[in-house]
Amino acid sequence: MILAATVAVVVGIFSFSSIQTPELRRSTGGPQLVSVQELPNSDFCQPGYEALPEASRAFDVFGRSSVYAGSQASGQTGVINRPPMRTIRDMDPIYSSVAVDLNFDEVVLMDNNNWALRIFNRLDNTPPGVPFTQPKRVIQGPETDIQYNNGIYIDPKNGDIYSVETDTGDEVVVFPRDANGNVKPARILETPHRGFALAVDEARQELYVGVQHPPEVAVYRKGASGDEKPLRSLRGESTRLSDVHGVALDTKNQLMFVTNWGHVSDASTAGTGRFEDPSISVYPMGSAGDTAPLRVIQGSKTQLNWPAQMALDTETGDIYVANDIGHSVVVFKRNDQGNVAPARVIKGNRTGLMNPSGVFVDTKHNELWASNFGNSSAVVYPLDANGNVAPVRTIRSAPEGKVSLKFGKVEALAYDVGRDQVWVPN
Amino acid sequence: MTHPQIAAFARVAKENEPPVRTLEGHKTLISRTMHGFSYDPIHDEIVVNSPLSQAILTFRGGANGEEPPIRVIQGPKTKILGADTGALSTVTSDPDHNEIFLPVGKGYRSGGTGGVQGVYVFDRLANGDVAPKRILTGPDTLISSATPQVAVDPVRKLLIVKSGGALLIFDREANGNTKPLRIIKGPKTGGFGGGQIATYPEKGWILTNSRDDWAVWSVEDNGDVAPRWRIPVKELTGGGRQNAGIAVIPKAKEIMIASSQMNKVVTFYFPEMFE
Repeated sequence: MILAATVAVVVGIFSFSSIQTPELRRSTGGPQLVSVQELPNSDFCQPGYEALPEASRAFDVFGRSSVYAGSQASGQTGVINRPPMRTIRDMDPIYSSVAVDLNFDEVVLMDNNNWALRIFNRLDNTPPGVPFTQPKRVIQGPETDIQYNNGIYIDPKNGDIYSVETDTGDEVVVFPRDANGNVKPARILETPHRGFALAVDEARQELYVGVQHPPEVAVYRKGASGDEKPLRSLRGESTRLSDVHGVALDTKNQLMFVTNWGHVSDASTAGTGRFEDPSISVYPMGSAGDTAPLRVIQGSKTQLNWPAQMALDTETGDIYVANDIGHSVVVFKRNDQGNVAPARVIKGNRTGLMNPSGVFVDTKHNELWASNFGNSSAVVYPLDANGNVAPVRTIRSAPEGKVSLKFGKVEALAYDVGRDQVWVPN
Repeated sequence: MTHPQIAAFARVAKENEPPVRTLEGHKTLISRTMHGFSYDPIHDEIVVNSPLSQAILTFRGGANGEEPPIRVIQGPKTKILGADTGALSTVTSDPDHNEIFLPVGKGYRSGGTGGVQGVYVFDRLANGDVAPKRILTGPDTLISSATPQVAVDPVRKLLIVKSGGALLIFDREANGNTKPLRIIKGPKTGGFGGGQIATYPEKGWILTNSRDDWAVWSVEDNGDVAPRWRIPVKELTGGGRQNAGIAVIPKAKEIMIASSQMNKVVTFYFPEMFE
């Protein structure tokens, strides 16, 4: 303790003369006692990876300097140049969605945490004990415009990668198949705030963008860019859309399926908010305006709990739903309606599922992909999998057992003094 | 966003250290766009907005998992409007006076929400379809912005509203079309950001983000006043904008800042502010 106090005094004296400080106490011509304090715990001043640029580390030596507040009269400001003591951050990818390029045998995982698209070989399989699988390519960097990406689509002919930027981006960015590194998108389409899900009708060359709130499904020309307006939009109270998280198209039967979380309100009318159970609503593909769904899957038997992205097997009519809070993939039939149990449920400790938010149906190889928001991985099953089944392959981007922080645009904090804990919302 | 949650971490948690508990799932009624909320240490409760459903939720302080809130303020009498694009994104409790403050703005869309711009005040124990106790709104309040934020100094009985490029300081019980007591605004302030706002009542400080930095003013400041301290967060953390969240930790003389564009929380040792 004596040593700690002595060190604190010495550092304080040294730094006192080294930092630009306004309104310093009157000079005595010699060193002054600034403060005597306990040294912080051992993790003080540990710079986290790139959190500290090299230039800022020059301030490390002044880490315990005091910078006195300027008075209102002085108009001066004390600048605190200490680097952060600690950082809470997930250092690994957090995967929001998945899609497969069946022509080139590649799989693209959306990294919502690091604002990236990571491309792997379709048959990659991270062996036990290996910390992670290296991607073939990574599209990432400020030029890419990727930010908090969620919905993904891969053009089945040319391999173009479509990514919707949900929050701060408000756009769809399109990259050529072989894009790599910090590259500009080939095309950018401005979309409504909170765009989340993507689907494409290749026959009509139309791009569907599901928007969380105010909820809508906006339909654009597939080749649209810039501020081009949608061809049509499905929105309004009759639609029963709410906090949209997934859009899937049944082109064979011309149906559109939408996952809803049940957060309902008319954003233009006060006091209209209410909570409903999560649901899947079904519409004719050409629906526009305030059109009611043909049918709705909703209720306690459905097991739906924050249902996210969906994928459809057009031949069988099976609808695969990434069921986030259920840690499951639930499978419904095309004509299901009301409070109906899923036809199949992939769930359990052998599945590797943890907060899945993306799914992809590969009918060429009869495989189902799911991306996990909760453990930095993607898992692959036979398309007819059911129950507590182990995946046939797993691509991990973090060591086994990793529990994701599941951060997604952390923007507020609250401190619980009694428990010495900090609350962090997404 | 992909997955709303409110995750509790040990204060001293580091990189890749998972939360000790997490509120998530349909039964919690939480949704995206929780940009400001409060922990109430007196009653051990968490107060948070659920903007997509125009609601205010209160949870037990020890809540965990898919736990429902213990109270929900929602319905026509509440007059709560949002969230269009940004309005109704924050809520603040004043546990000392058993009240909840809900700032409401016009949102980011060009036409705005068309609703009230101001601050709704609810009783802490309000539950269901309950009208606000007070509404601070009107041209004299100068509250006019897409997403105003508020903080309370319960010691000096002040309400601080960040709106329209200013810190507007009101009497805590201000109601109706009331002028602020003091206004901190002007080029010397360096401007304000869109994030949370907090107070350290023991010393009378106001903490809020200033552009991409964090800065501290006194509740007694008035006019075009430079901040008492500034932390160049963007420079010190290697980039990133929207360093929007704040937690004040007196026992460790720290502040924690949430960087929404870097998707991380950083802790600064800041003893000067507490001494």
